[in-house]
Order: sequence, then structure tokens, then C-alpha cells
Amino acid sequence: MDLISILATVILTTTIATVLTGFVAYSAFKLRDKRRPKKHAQHVHQADGDQPIFFSRYVPEQSGRHDTTNINTP
Amino acid sequence: MVKRKHVALWLIIGALFASLGVTAYLAYRSIHAHGGSLWVLLQNGVLTAVSLYLLLILILLVVRYGVVILCSFMDHLESIQRGPAKYTEAELNSLPMVSLVVPAYNEGLVIQPAIRSLLQMDYPNYEIIVIDDGSTDDTYEKALVVAGESVDIPIRVITKRNAGKAEALNTGMSLAKGEFILNMDGDSKLSSNTLKECVRHFSDPRVAAVAGNVKVINRSNIWSRIQALEYVEGLAMARKAQSYARVVNIIPGPLGMFRKSVLQEVGGYDHRTFAEDCDLTLKLLVNGWHIIYEARAVAWVETPTSLLNLLKQRYRWTRGILQATAKHKWALWHPRKGGVNFYILWYMIFEGIIWPFSNLLSNVFFIYVSLQYGLIVLLFYWWVQLTLLDLIAATYCCIIEDEDPAIIPYAVLFRLVYINIIDIAKVLATIEEWRGLSMTWGKLDREGSL
Repeated sequence: MDLISILATVILTTTIATVLTGFVAYSAFKLRDKRRPKKHAQHVHQADGDQPIFFSRYVPEQSGRHDTTNINTP
Repeated sequence: MVKRKHVALWLIIGALFASLGVTAYLAYRSIHAHGGSLWVLLQNGVLTAVSLYLLLILILLVVRYGVVILCSFMDHLESIQRGPAKYTEAELNSLPMVSLVVPAYNEGLVIQPAIRSLLQMDYPNYEIIVIDDGSTDDTYEKALVVAGESVDIPIRVITKRNAGKAEALNTGMSLAKGEFILNMDGDSKLSSNTLKECVRHFSDPRVAAVAGNVKVINRSNIWSRIQALEYVEGLAMARKAQSYARVVNIIPGPLGMFRKSVLQEVGGYDHRTFAEDCDLTLKLLVNGWHIIYEARAVAWVETPTSLLNLLKQRYRWTRGILQATAKHKWALWHPRKGGVNFYILWYMIFEGIIWPFSNLLSNVFFIYVSLQYGLIVLLFYWWVQLTLLDLIAATYCCIIEDEDPAIIPYAVLFRLVYINIIDIAKVLATIEEWRGLSMTWGKLDREGSL
């Protein structure tokens, strides 16, 4: 077996392995994505019809030049 | 006139089908007369068609590499001629105000170093606006701590209900006081010269935005090192080449500076796609604005270090870019009206759909002919050609970007392993997008490398 044949065999084996890995990894990613709790998921059209959610954040007293704002504060 | 055109088109299509039918009939008669197999003929026909298709793709790819490297080099020469940004004392005092908008969603691990890097900017007139997009972690509190440390630079930390990155960036835009807006990601760290390097391009009134250079900071394993090379190649070749024509097609999320008036004119970011940066860029190009790439302005970002996280990121990018492309698809079929977007969109279709499908097809084809006919050497030569192109491109990019040459050998792994896996994810994501399946943002877990 010459060098080119050996290298070609290595490339063929790796190509088969990576193609299989590609499909398996994609399936694993989709499976993991499905099992993840959807509670905090950001949906693309979320902003369209949802009501605003108001957070009760701690806002320190403003001092110096930096300005801290809570945009949801009425 | 229009009817005549249609008649001619239908006549051509009819003639094509008729000639195909006659060829198929003659082939069938010939096989029948010699006792051959129709299956073998069909197989040979398909293999010949695929071979010719792959040859065409290879030619396109070589041409693409040639053109891109040439244009990129021209842009590099321009950049050398321009030199690093230098201002006199008087000029420094009259530099326009820039607002840095940092959208952050659950970036508690990286938000502090990201904001601290902004406090080190070598620029006299800027403000920082951090938009906490309804994080469920301590992003907001941590941002407030750094805001308290700042004495000279005005920092505003704003929290709002979670509505996505596009909304957060639009909020920042509406609150910005600066004439120019620099949008970045909450997990990015900017080089101190960023503002000086970007702002000078706006002396040309046709320029609407400047795209920055993005580099990988966490080069800790094989995946992140290959991505480091991928970023360097993508930016130093394609982005630089586009910059030469002033038509950069994606202003990256980690670093993009905009004229505020233009952002307002085009309506800011649209939250209907998962690639709001790409969509905005296309909107700017449609409106005839110039977009430039500035390699000296650098944003350091964390990249995924595990395969599944990498796929999650690429899945979102692929579908987002397809969504943005679909929004402007009219330009694909109207070269005159679409102008530069006609070329940009076809380029994106080639990179995002045609090439990944072709790569997967080539793998399946070469595996089949190797196992079925023992033509394993074909796969070898195909792989060697592509890897040589990658190595040449990697070397060129590392030279002009002054990058660590240690990442050049990763071009071999890039071609042998990485791109096969990524292209499969792109193909499957494209199919999902075509089927219109729902998707979520797919927030990546941070490592805190900044």
C-alpha cells in the first residue's frame, strides 16, 4: 500500500466518522434543547403581544456622575 | 413584448425536456439491444451529474478564494496607507460623542470585565449604557457595581423586561446622547483604540457604519482554537474584501459603530429575525449606505468550547441569516433594483446554503465511490485541494492580521473534521427553517474568560 492510499484511507475513515458525528451531535443538541425548561426561553416574537413584566430591583441612591435607572419604574 | 418573452422561455423549456426525453429513449433502446441494465445507466448518469456539479463548485470556490484574497489585500494596502488613528490635541477636543450600548442577558459572569474594558477606552468623549434585558441572574447588580466605580465616564445601567437583544439595542439607541452609537455584546471586551479607529471613517458622509474585528479570547481547546482560525479567516478575507467595496454584509454583534441618525432612519433593529445584526446591515445597504470594516478595532469574545454549544450557536446563526435573507429576498431576483444587495444576497446564499449542501453531497459522493468502486484516491485529491486552499488562506490571514502562526496547522483539522460537522448542522438548520419550525435564542453558557 503506497502513501497516498494510506492517507486516503485515513481521510475516508475520518470523513465517515465526522459525517456520523455531525448527525449524532445535531440530534444530541436538539434533544438537549427539547429537554431544557422553556420558562426563560426568549422567543422571537415574544415582544409582540406580551404584557410587560416589572422587576422589583434594588436601585441604589444615585451619586457621582453615574446614573442608574430602572426603565420600568413608573 | 412580455408575452413573446414568455413564449420563447416556454419554447426553450419544452425543447430541453424534448431533447432529454429523446436521449432517455435512445439510451433505453441501446441498453435493451445490448442486454444492459437501466439501473447501471441511471447510476452512471447520477454520478456523472454529481461529478460535474462538484467540479463546478470547486471552480467557483477557487475563483471565490482568488477574488476574495485579491480584494482583501487591496483593502489591507488601503489600511496600511491610512495607518493607525492619530489626532492632534485640537482634534481630540472636538471628537464627537459616542454612546456605547451594552445589551446583557444573564451575563453575570462576564459583565464586569466587559464594562471595565470600556472604562479604559482611549477616547475623550463617550458614555456607556448597559441594558439589562430582564436577566434572571445578577447581571444588573454586577453592572451597577462597576458603574459605581466610574468617576469620569458617565454610565447608565438600565433594566427592562426581557424582550430580546434587538429590543435591548433599540432601547439603548433611544437613550443614547451621542452622535454615534457603538453596539457590542455583554460578553465582549474591546481594545482601547476602538473608538478612535472607528470614528474617523465617519468623516466620509456616505459611511453609515463600521464593523469591527472579532477575535477569540478563550483558545483553550481544539474547538476554540479552530474557531479562532475560522474568525481570523472570515474577517481577514471575506470581511476585508467586502470592505474594499464598502459593502460589508454583517456588522458583527460584538462590535459595530453606527451613525445614530441612520439607525433611526432605518428604524433600528428588527426583532423578527435571530440575526438582527445581519438584517440591519442589509437594511443599510438597501438604502445605499457604505459599511466599512476596521481591523484595528478589536472585540475579544468567548467562543463555545464544547461541540453541542457550538452547534447551538451555529444553528441560531444559520437560521437567523436565512431569516434576514428571506426578508430581503426580492433583491435576489431584481439585480437592477436590488443593486449591491443582489450580489451580497447571492454570496450569502452560496456561503449559507449552497456550499454546506455541496460539502455534504461531496462527502456522501466520495464515500460512495470509494466503497463501491474503490476510487478512494478521488477523495484524497478532493481533500488535498481544499486543504491546500485553507492552508494558503490561513497563512495569508495570519500574516496580514499579525496573528499567532500556531493556529495555521488547525486548517487541516478545520477541513478534516470541523467543517463537516458544522456544515451538517447548517444543512439541518436550513431544512428546519424551510419547514418553519419554531426556535429559541439558545443562550450560551459563559466561562468567564474575559
